[in-house]
Parts: sequence; C-alpha cells; structure tokens
Amino acid sequence: MAEPNSTFKPIKPKLKPKPRTPKQTPESKYWSSFKTHQIPDLISSITSLTFSPSPPHPFAATHSTSLKIFNPQTLSPSSTISSFSDVVSSASFRCDGLLIAASDLSGLIQVFDVKTRTPLRKLRSHTRPVRFLKYPLHDKLHLVSGGDDAVVKYWDVASETPLLELLGHKDYVRCGDFSPVSHEMCVTGSYDHTVKLWDVRVTGSKTVMEVNHGKPVESVVFLPSGGLVATAGGNSVKIWDFIGGGKMVYSMESHTKTVTSVCVGRVGKENVEEGREHRVLSVGLDGYMKVFDYGRMKVTHSMRFPAPLMSVGFSPDCGVRVIGSSNGVMYVGKRKTKEENVESGLRSFWSLGVEEERRVMRPSYFRYFHRGQGDKPKWGDYLVMRPKKVKLAEHDKLLKKFRHKEALVSVLGNKNPENVVAVMEELVARRKLLKCVENLDNEELGLLFMFLQKYSTVPRFSGLLMGLTKKVLEMRVEDIRGSEALKGQIRNLKRSVEEEIRIQHSLQELQGIISPLLRIAGRA
Amino acid sequence: MIRGGSSYISSPPAFSNDAKRLLVCTANTVSIFSTSTALQVASLEGHTAAVTSVIVVPGTKVLCYCWTASLDGTIRYWDFSVPELLKTLDVKMPIFSMVIPSIVGQPAESNEKPTDVFAYLSIEDKKVQENRPKAMHGQIRKCNLTASRMVGGLILKETPQPEFITVSSSGKFFGIRNKRKLHVWSVPAIDSGRSLAKKITLHHSKTLSVLAFHPTERIVAAGDVTGRILVWRGFGYRTFSTGDELVNKEEEHPGVRGNDDADSCSTWHWHSAEVKVLSFSSDGGKEGVLVVWQLDTGKKKFLPRIGSPLLCFTDSPDPTLSSISCADNLIHMLEMPSMDILKTISGIKVCSKESFYVLIFKLHSHPQLPHSFPGRYEGLSSGFAFDYTSGLVALRTESYGIQFYSLFDDHGMYEVQVCERNHQPGDEISVVVILVALSQDGSMMSTVEVKLPEEGIGGLVCLKFWALGSENKKFTLSTVIYEPHRDAGISAVAFHPTRHMAVSSSYGGDFKVWVCNDEIQQKGQTLQNSGWACLAVGAYKKKPMTAAAFSLDGSVLAVAAETVITLWDPDKNVLLAVIGETLSPIVTLSFAGKSEYLVSVSRDPKPQLSVWNMSKLSLSWSYRLHIEAVACAVDLLSFAVLALLPESSMCTESNELMSQGRDGAILLFNVMDPVPVATWSVRKAKGGGLSFLQGNPSFLEENISDGNAPKEFLVYVNGDHEYVLFDPYSNEANEVSMARRKGLVELEETGQVGYASIYGELPEFKRNQTSLVPSVPSERPWETIFSGSSHNLPPLTRLCAAFLESLMEKRTAAVE
Repeated sequence: MAEPNSTFKPIKPKLKPKPRTPKQTPESKYWSSFKTHQIPDLISSITSLTFSPSPPHPFAATHSTSLKIFNPQTLSPSSTISSFSDVVSSASFRCDGLLIAASDLSGLIQVFDVKTRTPLRKLRSHTRPVRFLKYPLHDKLHLVSGGDDAVVKYWDVASETPLLELLGHKDYVRCGDFSPVSHEMCVTGSYDHTVKLWDVRVTGSKTVMEVNHGKPVESVVFLPSGGLVATAGGNSVKIWDFIGGGKMVYSMESHTKTVTSVCVGRVGKENVEEGREHRVLSVGLDGYMKVFDYGRMKVTHSMRFPAPLMSVGFSPDCGVRVIGSSNGVMYVGKRKTKEENVESGLRSFWSLGVEEERRVMRPSYFRYFHRGQGDKPKWGDYLVMRPKKVKLAEHDKLLKKFRHKEALVSVLGNKNPENVVAVMEELVARRKLLKCVENLDNEELGLLFMFLQKYSTVPRFSGLLMGLTKKVLEMRVEDIRGSEALKGQIRNLKRSVEEEIRIQHSLQELQGIISPLLRIAGRA
Repeated sequence: MIRGGSSYISSPPAFSNDAKRLLVCTANTVSIFSTSTALQVASLEGHTAAVTSVIVVPGTKVLCYCWTASLDGTIRYWDFSVPELLKTLDVKMPIFSMVIPSIVGQPAESNEKPTDVFAYLSIEDKKVQENRPKAMHGQIRKCNLTASRMVGGLILKETPQPEFITVSSSGKFFGIRNKRKLHVWSVPAIDSGRSLAKKITLHHSKTLSVLAFHPTERIVAAGDVTGRILVWRGFGYRTFSTGDELVNKEEEHPGVRGNDDADSCSTWHWHSAEVKVLSFSSDGGKEGVLVVWQLDTGKKKFLPRIGSPLLCFTDSPDPTLSSISCADNLIHMLEMPSMDILKTISGIKVCSKESFYVLIFKLHSHPQLPHSFPGRYEGLSSGFAFDYTSGLVALRTESYGIQFYSLFDDHGMYEVQVCERNHQPGDEISVVVILVALSQDGSMMSTVEVKLPEEGIGGLVCLKFWALGSENKKFTLSTVIYEPHRDAGISAVAFHPTRHMAVSSSYGGDFKVWVCNDEIQQKGQTLQNSGWACLAVGAYKKKPMTAAAFSLDGSVLAVAAETVITLWDPDKNVLLAVIGETLSPIVTLSFAGKSEYLVSVSRDPKPQLSVWNMSKLSLSWSYRLHIEAVACAVDLLSFAVLALLPESSMCTESNELMSQGRDGAILLFNVMDPVPVATWSVRKAKGGGLSFLQGNPSFLEENISDGNAPKEFLVYVNGDHEYVLFDPYSNEANEVSMARRKGLVELEETGQVGYASIYGELPEFKRNQTSLVPSVPSERPWETIFSGSSHNLPPLTRLCAAFLESLMEKRTAAVE
C-alpha cells in the first residue's frame, strides 16, 4: 500500500562521503575521553611529571626552580616547593606517597615532606647537574639518581650517603627507572646511546646488561611485566626484552622529532579484564602524543598538541593523563571516573527508603494533576503515537509557499553552504533558479556573490556553483557595473577563482610527475 | 493464467448504499472493494469490453443492485451482493457514459408502482460517415430501461466526441460540456418515452473541462482548462419554468455572458492547471490538490500533495466518506471534514506517456552532455524490474518512487520513495528515475535518477543502492553515489547473480563494478557500516557502454560498447574477449540461462536481435526485428522476446490483428534454433515488458488440477501496465479461466454502531477459561497438573477431580 505522502518533505543537503573505516576505534574513543584542560603559566618547560603511588594520586610537576604538586580532582596546585637554587630536573614520590625527592641542576637532591613541604634530607654528592632520580617501588629507604657526571648513584636516604656509585656510562645520564617487580634492579639511559641494567646486589658496580638504542636516550621506562623496557631516543621508541637477553622487540618510528618522554598508560579500569592492557605513551618535540600497543605492535591513538612536549605522566588509577610542554603549558586530560557515579548511585539507593514514605497525593496538590506524566511505557503497553511533526526551516517554509527568491535569500543568510546548495538544487529542479537570480536586488546579489566567492571553488559544490557564477555574471552585468560594492566583490571572486586555477595547475603538474611512476610500478 | 494490472480509474467509481463497498470499473469487469480494508472482495464479470459507467440503485442499505454500461454496447443490471447478472440490454452502440436521473431523484420508498426507468446515454454512432467534414460521433440518447428499448429517434444532442454526462443529485438536471459551452437539460417531472427534456446552453470564453450541479439549489459550476471555476446561480429559470413566454426583461445579470439563462455568474481562480474534477463540496485538479470551497464565501480548504492529477471525486451515502481517483491508478478514501486519507486502493501505476516523451526530447536537445544520451533514450521504454523469486514487479512512478506490485496477487505491495522531493504533478519534469534493477534473489535494488539541468547548470545523475530489510521486507537506502560516471548518463545497471556485486555502464565510455562492503569485510564483522564502493573501472576504446549483463554463474561480465560486446572477468577486471559487431548500438544484453549463448538487442536505425555463441565467440543467428523486451529463462535454454510488428506487415497481412489493436508478438525461442517454439500476438506492446518468473508455490496449489505444475511463468506487461502471466510451455491455449486468488481477501469486519463507532471496541474482559491448561490426562498427570503459575491453573474442583482420577488405577486391560 502506498502511504499518502501529504506531508511536505524538507529539502536535504547532499550526503557527504563517509570514511570506509570507522572513525573511532574503542581505544581511540577511550583516549579521547580524557577531557583536556590547560594549566598555563608555569614558567619555562616542564621537565618532569610524576604521580604519587597512593590515592588519590596527586601529581608533581617540575618546572624552572620550583616543584608543584597538583590535586588530581580539581587540577589546582595544592602546594608549591621552591627551595631550589637551580632548575629542578626531576622528582619522584616515595612508594607511600608521603615523601617526594627532587633534584636540580646544581647537583643537589632534596627530600621533602609532601604535607609540610619541609626539606628533610639533602643528598649532596653529584658534582654536575642531576638529571633524574627515582624511588624504587617498594623500598622506602633508597633512591637512585644520575646526572651529567655520567655516574649513577644508589643512595641510602636516611643517612644521606651514596651506597653505590655505578660507573659505566660514558656520557650524561638522562633517565632511569626501577623495575616494577624488584627493588634492586634499575635501568638507566644515557646520551652515550646505551641503556644499562644495574643490580645493586652485584658488587663492583658492574652493569648486568647493556643495550644500544642507537641514539641519545631521552627516556626509559620499565613495562609492568618487568621483563620489557621501553626506551626513547631520537625519533624512535624501542621495546627491549631484557629477560630474553636484551633483544629489541620492536622499534616504533612514528614520531617525526625527538621523543622526549615515555610512560606506561593503561586502557580501561582495573577490575575489568580489559584493564590489564597496558600501553606505552610517548610524547615528542613534534607535539604528538602517541599511544603504542606493544602487544599488537601498533600505534592505536595519536594526539596533537600545539607545542613541543617535554614530559608525560599517567595516573595509576587511569583517571588523569598529564603532558608537559616546553613553553610552560601543561595539558591535563581528566577522565570522568566511574567512582563518582557509583557514589551517586549509592546515595540514591539509600534515599530510596525515604522516597517510599512519600505521602499519598490528593487533588489539593498541584502535582496531583501531573502525576504519571513522566511514566515510561511498559513493554506490553499499546502506544498511541502522536504524528511526528516535521520541523521546517525558514527556507523550507518559503519553498512550500513557492516564494523562491525569499527562500534563496533566507538560506544565503544562514551561512550553511550545504543548505544553500541544496536549496539551489531544488530551485533548479523547479526551474526557478535563474529567475530568482534575476529578481535579486543589489544587496541580495552581494550576499550571493559573497557565498559564491567562498564556496564556488570547493570541489563538492563547484559543479553547480561554477556554472551558476557564470550565469549570474552574464545576467546581472548591468547591475554590477552600477555598483561599487558589487565590483569589489567581483574582484574578490576573480581572485579566488584564479587562486583555484593556480592550485589546479600545480596539482596537474604533480599528477604528471606521478602518473608515469605509477604506470611503471603497475607494470612491474 | 493470471491477468491483472487493470486500470481503476477509467471511469468514476460508485459507492454502495451502505458505503461499505466501492464499485470500480476495471477493464471488462467491475471490481468491488471494501472501503474499510481497501481489498477486493468480489467482481462482476460479463461485459466483453471496457465498462464505462456503474450506477448503484439507491435505496435502503440492503439493496445491492447496480446498472453498468459498457463499450460493448450493453447495459446490464446486477445484484452485486451475490454477485449475479439479472438483466442485459443491448444498445448495439458503444456507451461512453450513462446517467439515470429518475432513480437518483426517486424517494427511496415510494409506494406507487414503479414507473419506467429512463437512462440517458452518451454513445458513439459508428454509422456516421467518416468523410463528412464535421462528423458528429457522439450522441446523447434516451433509453427506457424497464422496457429494455431505446426511445426511438430521439437524439438530444450531437457532439463531435462522446461526452461524459453529469447528473445533478436531485435528478432534475443533467448536462454535458461541449467545448466552450455547457448544455443542461431538465428532466421532465413525469418521465415518459415521449416527453422531451428542455435544454439551455451556458457559454464561457475558455474550454470547459468539467461541470457539477448543486444538490439542492439551481447552481451549476464548471471548471475550465486554465484552472478557473465558474459558478452559475439560478440557471434556467426562464426556460425551465412552466412555459409562459416571459418578456425578456433587461435585468442586471452580473457576469453572465450574452444571452445565457442564468441569474449570476461568479468566477474563482485558484488552480494553476486544468481543473479535472468538480463536484459540489470540493474540486481538484492537475496539480493534485483537492480544494474544498465554501460556496457562499469562497473560502477554501486544501488537501495538498496527493501526488498525481485527480480524475474524479465520488461522494458516498455516508457523509464522512468519499473517494478520489488519481491519475496514477490510485483510489484514496477520504474522511471528509478533516480530509484525511483513510485507505488507498492502489492499482499498478502508470506513467503518463507524454511526460516521458517530453523528457526524451529534453535529453536529446541538451547540448552539454555530448555522450550522455545518444539516439533514443532506450532505458526508458523498459522501465520494469522483475523479482524472479517472489513474483513482484518494480516500476517507476512519476512521483520519484518505485512501486512494488505483486503479480500473483494483483495487488500493490508498497512504494519506495527514491528521491525525497515533493512531487507537483503539474510541473515540468525535471527529476526522473530512469533505471531500476533488482538482483535475482530480490534482496538488492539499484536505481538511477537524473536531474535535468536548468540552462546547463545543476544537472545531476545519482546512483542509489537499496537493501531489503530483513524484518519488514522493504527496501532501505544503502548507498548514494552522486555522479557515478561524472556527468555522463547511465545506460544499464546489472547485479551479479550470486554475490553482492553490481555493474553500471555509462554513455561516457566506461563501466564500473561496485561491490558491497560486507563482502570486503569478513562476514562476522559489523555490518552496519555496509555500503557499496567502486571496485573496478573499465573502458573499451572510449566507446559509450550501452548495456551490461552478468552470466548466470557470474564468471563473465558482458558489456556492450556500442556495436561490439566486450567480455570481462569481473573479479580481476581483465578484458577476456571482444565479439561483434552489430549494425547499430546494442541496447540490451542478456545471457540465455546457463547456456553459452548471449542475446543482444539493438534498435534504431537497424533493429536486430542477435544470439551469440560464447564458446565460438561468433554470431549464432540473428533476426531483423524491433525488440521491445527480452526475457531469459534461468534454467532452461529458452528465451522470450517481445517484438513490435513492423508497420509494413501490419498494413498488408495482419488486418485482423490490426482490428484488435494487436501490434506486437511474443516469440519464444530455443537458443539453438532460430525457429520460434511458440508465438503469441499481443496488444499495446510498445513500452511493454517481459520476464520469466519462478512458480509461486501457493499459486501452484491452485493449478494442481492441471497435473504438471509449471516451473516458470512468463509475464507480459503491456504499455498500459496490464499484465498476463502464463505458462509458456503448456500446449493448451491460454484460455484457462482466470482463477482469482482469494488469499488476500479479508473477511469484512462487522459494522460498528453507537459507542463502538466513536470510541472503538471495548476490550473484552473474559474470565479466564479453563482451557488454558489442557486437562488431558497424561501418563503421570500429577507431575504436570500443578505446574504453571497459580492464576493459570484450572479451578480447584476440576483440578481435584483430575488429580484423584490420576491416582486411581485405570483398568483397561482387565478384559482378558
């Protein structure tokens, strides 16, 4: 049976081609669900970012000569430590999150109480700037540091003395990390292209293993299994298998400039099975953050920031992702955590009891007359559907009344090129477009020219608009001669067309270069 | 054999007295439709030519008699509730229109003895000599229906053509329009054979198209071709008054032309095109808008966008119900004050021919599309696509849609709107759906629409792919491709027989192979992003590609490049072979079943039917015939063609064919043999279509008496979209009696009165009967007897009895 089509059909713009592959994988959806906030006005570049291992996981950012600790919920600085004589290079929380150690370029390492900000210990032994320091995972007594003197030191914090001096690097030591499974193993990377694995139990300060990254190493991180290490240097991030004898597993080369920092991120929540999946987050001077899935050896997400990036951090509860840039802006991505929802759900559960005690409604209440209006239909209910009202735009209403010129003018005023072209196509189908153009007054003609100048060279519209432009110029030549404003617009139009022609020429040149190559490739 | 697809709109329908039936003239029969379900319930069969008028005898609701008049020159009287023929009257001249004023005006229950019933007929007199310069073919005559004879020698009026007679609902007047004049007769109060009706004539400056009488007052309204409506009030006071020759006073008669006999004349002008329907209380026109005018004030109410020109408007005895017939073979039931369309009886749609000719002309005269539409635009003539398995035909409608019509059921299924536009029937044609193709299993469809440019700008060719929905069995849009072959027109679209693959060939010199995305992805992947994408492009010497077809197993793709046929591997897109060539461009290609033969058809200037052998890559045999359509059987080695008989042969030998209007022939060939296996001559072959259809199992059941049920049917659709289905292989002549299928006819629901008619039926609250739990004692009834929720259980008394009975031992085997 044919339905009577007595409803007016509004005009629809042409469909745009859809990409063949889905735009967002679940993973990239996850990563873009971190809503980015900017924390500006930190002086100079952010040299390091570190998260406290204890909830609620506040994070510390080092920049210039100060260390700031941020609250992950409000993203506001909760405390600032500025008792440094030189640029702070690195910071690390102790495993219980109560203490934080920070190093600066004067070679001094200080340990602070996070709450009171009082310096508790000063570790003085490095002669040159210290570039990194790190607390081990479950060890509250020691830390490791390294610096421009190419020496890695293993400290006993309480006594402020270096227990071990690990020698072997031939250039600046820039980075290091403790193993997540053992508090006696650490790895350091240096500008001599090597990454060395140390075991503090080995006497004679000999390196256990050594791999060559091939480029000055900027950042090194243990992956959560404890067997794999990710190193960043030059444009590449490399994954090494240390248990398997220091074999390179994969080299990710998708950054275009030096990778400055890597850290471990995680997809999903802890209790979900998916939550076990870890990713390597890397940032570089090219302004990109890349998420690398080292299980599938694939870059799964990539994000662009407007500044060279220096450091990256990811909170252990997967709630916050922090990226520090070289110009003192910090990009904090915060994810809406489920915990808030759970909490509110809990509240509503408790409040349910209260609601049940609601009094019986009487007609004396105003709400009595509104009762049941918000009820959802049950499964078996018969729904009386109200006919859907077609919402008509201004131009549709005018087209319905056959007021073609007004429709064209109205849609031209709305600045939506797709709709304008759709209205024009409808007018062509009604054989009224040229008549409309003829009847436009000078002001409306100006509007049309403005539109044509902007969009007549857009490939999607040019098929119709180029022809129309020619016709309009032919038809309205007298009016254009009469008006200065229109003349100016014609000049603009001409310029944009010339620009397009130039582009097309250069594209054709390119095509001329490429097509023989393709043909040769096809033959081979 | 099944016939169907007749026109519902050839003449105005009539409502039965209880307004529950609508009598529609459908070719040689009168079909009776139910107004509440819009399905056919019965038909009156007996006339041997088209029925032109049907008049229901008014009376009480139980009276179900009607008069019908037909072009076969007979008037018949029926009881349509049974349905049964009661009386036949032979006038011997084709009747174009009939009115019976006396029964209209009669009170329903008159005690007096029924007087003679007189009918006024509009007939065509064949005996009038052709050579007279102004031959008056049409005559208005009077006929005594009770006595079954013509009133001798009484010709009320002669007109050049037989005209349609309009009668006033009071039965006092009837009238015809004749060019720019209206002739109105008044019926004598006591109608007898001798009494002559008096006549007045009203004049207008434009050609009138329709007239209508006011039911009670002396008002006549007429619509003209320019869309004006003229209303004459108080006509005929002078002439129809008792006969006193009044002195012609020079009164002010505003708007009345010349010496016409009317008090006043007023004009309304709203329609922009010809007014086709005018009836008191409403009118409608070619724009497809129904306008209800309030007579005193001239206020209007509209029902816009009906979609096609209106042909007639019929009131029913039920004041809230009326029907309008549209030119695209639809009858809409309207609920009157609100003007809502309640139900639609949809016949097979017909496209008005002239509109396509206009289009063809346009496509030619367009200078900026050099390759796009060569010669004649051939794609237009065969605008059908047949669903091989389910027996549906898809045909293009004027309102940018595709109608699916079930050939087995003779019933419109649904319509798919190809292009979201508002159709104004009166407008110049600028957007048209030119091609429709269905895949062999009927699950995919593709359409091509063309938007004609306005002075060279804004033209667009658009290829659309549709997928059949799994649950509602309707096509939904899958992919839209704008300008698939740049600005060139598409000559053919063909689907791969088994896979989700299609090919479109264009006059621009290339063809493209399209595949559905599901096939690219794995089957288990998400399918919601399925869409069609171009897989390959091919061209042969930059020649326009004029036709395309896949072989039955899908391994070979044949594309016609004007006069040669190129064969391709559709997967690798490699040219396999070139065969040719014909004398003029090929317009249709099709593989003959599973055989190695390919059938090609070319038309102007040198029409040709050729059969090519694919293994030898050479021409097998050919005929010089103008072929309208080709159909190939899927399994067998035969194919059928619909050939237009050449004019020369028509003049000389087949005079008897000509007299029946037969201008074409269906020829059934075996591919090996140039001698046709069977031939049938047909009418109106121009613009017709032909296809093989798989035998429908439900249909086979009815034909099981024939012994061997046919596997495949051949369906022929003529230019007017009437069709016939028959088994081409059976030897018996196709005079098998037409078995109407009762499958879709639903039983009439009982009428609702009072409360129920306003608020609908109250739901019946029955107490739960015990039938919910079957109380058949099973082997161990105590296990099942109490199962189920407690409110479903039978009453306790019954349960207990059953339970106790089950505990007792049955001694059935105790006889031994």
